[in-house]
Amino acid sequence: MPGKGPSLEDLIGIEHSKLGFFQELRQTIEALKDANAQSTQRRREIAAILDGITDIMMVLSSDLRILSVNHVFRQTFPDTPHPEGMHCYQIFRGDDQPCPNCPASASFATGDICRETAIFKIGGKNTQFEMVASPIRRPEAPESHILVFKRDVSREKDYQAKFYQAEKMATIGMLATGVAHEVNNPLTAIFGFAEGLRRRLPALKETVDPQVMEDVEDYVATIMRECRRCQDIVTTLLTFSRQKTVSFAAVSLNAVVNDTLKLLRSHLRQRNQAKITMRVELSENLPMVHGDEHQIKQVMLNLLVNAMDAIAGPGRIIITTFQSSQGAVCLSVEDSGCGIPADHMDKLFEPFFTTKRSGKGIGIGLSTCMSIVKKHQGEIAVKSEPGSGATFTVKFPVNTDKTT
Amino acid sequence: MRISKFAIPEIIFGRGSIVHLASCAKRLGARRVLLVSDQGLVGAGWVERIQEILRDNGLEWIFFDAVNSNPRDNQVHAGADIYSRERADVIIAVGGGSPMDAAKGIATIVGNGGRINDYEGANRIMRPLPPMIFLPTTAGSGSDISQFCIITDVARQVKMSIISRSLVPNVSIIDPLVLLTKSAELIISSAIDAFAHAVESYLSLLSSPFTEHQALKAIRLIAHNLHPALEDRSIEALENLSIAATSAGMSFSNAGLGIGHSLAHSLGGRFDVLHGLVHPILLPPVMRYNLPTSVDKLANIGRIVCGPRMCSNEYIAQAGIAWLERFCADLHVPVRLRDILPDSSCLEIIAKAAVNDACTLTNPRPASWESLLGVCQEAW
Repeated sequence: MPGKGPSLEDLIGIEHSKLGFFQELRQTIEALKDANAQSTQRRREIAAILDGITDIMMVLSSDLRILSVNHVFRQTFPDTPHPEGMHCYQIFRGDDQPCPNCPASASFATGDICRETAIFKIGGKNTQFEMVASPIRRPEAPESHILVFKRDVSREKDYQAKFYQAEKMATIGMLATGVAHEVNNPLTAIFGFAEGLRRRLPALKETVDPQVMEDVEDYVATIMRECRRCQDIVTTLLTFSRQKTVSFAAVSLNAVVNDTLKLLRSHLRQRNQAKITMRVELSENLPMVHGDEHQIKQVMLNLLVNAMDAIAGPGRIIITTFQSSQGAVCLSVEDSGCGIPADHMDKLFEPFFTTKRSGKGIGIGLSTCMSIVKKHQGEIAVKSEPGSGATFTVKFPVNTDKTT
Repeated sequence: MRISKFAIPEIIFGRGSIVHLASCAKRLGARRVLLVSDQGLVGAGWVERIQEILRDNGLEWIFFDAVNSNPRDNQVHAGADIYSRERADVIIAVGGGSPMDAAKGIATIVGNGGRINDYEGANRIMRPLPPMIFLPTTAGSGSDISQFCIITDVARQVKMSIISRSLVPNVSIIDPLVLLTKSAELIISSAIDAFAHAVESYLSLLSSPFTEHQALKAIRLIAHNLHPALEDRSIEALENLSIAATSAGMSFSNAGLGIGHSLAHSLGGRFDVLHGLVHPILLPPVMRYNLPTSVDKLANIGRIVCGPRMCSNEYIAQAGIAWLERFCADLHVPVRLRDILPDSSCLEIIAKAAVNDACTLTNPRPASWESLLGVCQEAW
């Protein structure tokens, strides 16, 4: 017999039986149990990791259809319980075609990680998202998918804006303090000498022509009055800029308006030559507002500056304080400027959103106003007709415990 | 006496036992069955009957009938591919030796992978096979009982013997009613095949009291029932042929065969001849070749077929062989090799291929290729 042929013992096969499945089945069941336990454990770990991710996460196919999402997505869009299969732009934009600077499309095109920042209106609120799209490469599947993270950076942007503002105010404060000191000293001297002149006037009265004397008395009085006004302005300037801890107290909106106007008087006077008329209608018996005077002044200042910037040629600004029918204490600034286009309305209060040309502003004024007003449990309403001006109305809740 | 072993499947035997097919399959975990058969069975309506039984019991099936007589390695692989692709579970084979051997080959590949010729020889199957249920429709091949599987290696033109206990099916359902629809030729070839199994396994070096009894019983039943079965299709005679084939299967599965089957495999690999029709030609010369070593056993066979005589063992053994030659001649089947082969030039190749066959091993008288050639020349 050649080598590999069987022997008689092979044919009897005492040592060989029909192979059963039992042992193998049992081992397979054990192995499957182990594998199942392991994969359950792994799934839990992965689920814990995924739950730990606070960004919106979704996997998109090449036609931007959603394949899967994480729990943050579901929390963000409670009204869309089954986003799988929908286009992402349907959900985020309510649109029927992809967004222009879509990072997912870019990522599909380049195969690289792509980043983009955009504002989406979610739940009626504008939210700024930082998006990262990264391709998911799987060697076994020819069609690639894209993993998209969307991080809500609205608050970060907000803080960034506040930081800018705080820094700006601190700088102004420092300058103002210096200016105030420098101006106060000569003012004191001028005032002192004017006072000296006034004291000596009676002695001169006998010797000088009464006509001349009358002029001199008038000049001295004017010098002293203007000196006091200068001191007032310097003091007001300090109240705007001095770094103070926020302290809530009873604040008169009317006083805020007057103080702000005082500060902007020269600026206004320049603009008045360009025929901006300013009307101020302050309601008497206006209840006090519970708030921080300096911060409310900032709001007023920002609104006023915006109103003036909105008017290119001749125009008018109406500043009104009043109490609404609901009892809120209101301040409204109306201008006859360029107005706000409808598609900008959503973004007005976003940090760093600006239509001013570069060098004129960085877009944090209104966002700062919004955060200040929110802190006062108030609200800002905007009404605008593009081309024919805008009205910003700030409403504060009435100061219930200290109504004066 | 050497230590022996006797292994057989669960056997369900009886008229109408086919109805138990579905419950057996379900017990083995069937939901989606691979049903292996051949076109002949479809024509006879048995496949339809089986599908009806499966359907009535809520079982799905995939029908694989790309099997011809002497199943080939590529058919086995095609069947295994279908089994995997269609997620089949239990394998049911219906038919003669060919669909059952194909089913065994398919089960081997499904359970163990690789190519079917990796398992040629004895005890090379190392992993379990899917459950198998066989329904023999010819009373002859014994494949539904045996641990043997014969597959043709097309490239080498050899019939490979694959031997493993794992090839014994889980259940064999033998319904003699199936034989009612068989042609005379098929009844003859099957019966002679079973007769050859019985004779060779009786003479085999591995025969044991458990196999010898079955072998002699098969010889007696075939000798007494083949003619009645052919003449009037008597159901009793057909049933007895069924019992004979099953008994012969039990015998040869455990005791092995001899050079008659070595040569039959060799011939079948080279010329696509019907296995059962080779034995009327080869069996008498093979018995004569083994006479020197097995005179007592051949005498026992002689007494069964010729009736008890007061004579020497030598004489009655010769008389038995002569009886067999007459018996075959009366069946009007070819009895000389020249009737089925083109010329005698191939005999040497046949003999040289047969000497390596596993069946040569259990032949009572050792055989070289030259002695096998001698047997062939005697049969020519």
